[in-house]
Amino acid sequence: MPQTTIYVAPRLAGTLGTVPPAVATVELARLFGRSAALAGVSLTVEMGRTVALLGPNGAGKTTLLRILATAIRPSYGSLAIDGIDALRDPEQVRGRAVYLSHATGHYDDLTAAENLRFATAMFGWGDREGHAVALEALDTVGLADAAGQRVRTFSAGMRKRLALARILVARPSLLLLDEPHAALDGDGMALVDSLIGLWREAGVTVIVASHQADRVASLADATVRLDGGLLAEVSGPGVVAGPVGASQRPRTAVATVDR
Amino acid sequence: MNDLRRGFAVAVAIARKDAISELRGRQAAGSTLFFAALVLLLFGFALGPDSQRLAEAAPGLLWLAIVFGGLLTMARLHQLEADDGAFEQLALYPVDRRAIYAGKALAGAAAMLVLGGLLLPVVAILYAIPIGAAWVPLLVAVVLGAIGFAAVGTAYAGLTVRMRAREVMLPLLMLPVVAPLLLAAVKASVAALSGDPLGELGSWLQLLAAFDVIMLVVGAGTYGFLLED
Repeated sequence: MPQTTIYVAPRLAGTLGTVPPAVATVELARLFGRSAALAGVSLTVEMGRTVALLGPNGAGKTTLLRILATAIRPSYGSLAIDGIDALRDPEQVRGRAVYLSHATGHYDDLTAAENLRFATAMFGWGDREGHAVALEALDTVGLADAAGQRVRTFSAGMRKRLALARILVARPSLLLLDEPHAALDGDGMALVDSLIGLWREAGVTVIVASHQADRVASLADATVRLDGGLLAEVSGPGVVAGPVGASQRPRTAVATVDR
Repeated sequence: MNDLRRGFAVAVAIARKDAISELRGRQAAGSTLFFAALVLLLFGFALGPDSQRLAEAAPGLLWLAIVFGGLLTMARLHQLEADDGAFEQLALYPVDRRAIYAGKALAGAAAMLVLGGLLLPVVAILYAIPIGAAWVPLLVAVVLGAIGFAAVGTAYAGLTVRMRAREVMLPLLMLPVVAPLLLAAVKASVAALSGDPLGELGSWLQLLAAFDVIMLVVGAGTYGFLLED
């Protein structure tokens, strides 16, 4: 993988110098009609942790990630991201919590470079720096040669790589990756693993939903398993089932490459 | 000031992205123009060769063609966002919702202006209307009409883009709201083409401008709610 710069959001301090958890949910539930995709999930994730989110189809993984990303609102419960009430102040959470969804969200008639330049403008990069950041991200995900190609002509794997590039031009503190290995070839999967490692080193909290349990578990500090919209299992350091207060132990800032 | 500059940059980036997509999807843009021109042609045949009759009907038919073409344009500009989950991605960017609305409305107004600008000479040629000195007030009416239509159309296209029956819902919801705009635009066009004998052109243009301001403020204030789940 070429040299990759990881950009992260500035850390937010909690009260009295404590570090707020990256994710704190209390009895989070989401109904679609009469069926509950999430049925009361209380979970606390410490900042900087990498968490594997596992479970069978329909377990509620995607629903949980979309609520954490503020893409949908929960029917019940509360949610704080980096200590910010995400239901009251979702604008402040967006940009800190960055979501890679199944749908890649590209514009088909734009080239890969144009799609990424658009993303850099949305993430607040200036013209010149946005151009450089976009080119580096395209290089990192192996799309430098296809930069001028319209996304309409891309394969599913190339679209996923471009979506990964979009995350690289964001400045997240929390990454929510929904099946990041899906549609990718062997090299692409290895690229995702490397990037997760880099984000982890940079102190970004990463939650990865996947059906490749062994693969993501080997990358993660902790595992959260959902089943039928409920927490079935929580294991590993930095993740607690249930609401807890902000950590009283300030963590040492992990070395990051910030702009 | 920084927020304003950032909002402006976001709006321009969105409008630019939409303009590129629209230009590259030439088939869609071309079919809209063809459809609008066909409406004018068919009405021309229906009204017959009476030049007086054609001249009287021309302002109304011009705006009828702009409305038909505009509805397709507004729907298409939001359809771009519906493909591949782009609308959700747009909603998740850390940007002011009003800037997103401004960008989409700017792209819509630009597309409407191009449509109106191309249809004006078509009307003049098909219906043999001597536009002469009336082109300035006519163009002002088209500009104000395009802004108002885009202001309303952007909000309603944002509302209907996630609906299954969006092609049906958009005109159903939008046309009653733009009725005052169309009335003022047609009246302003009639006044402009007839040399404004009653001195009412200014009042109709003022009404158009007021409509634009009100709809832009309302659209910017409500668009954020449309982006939420």
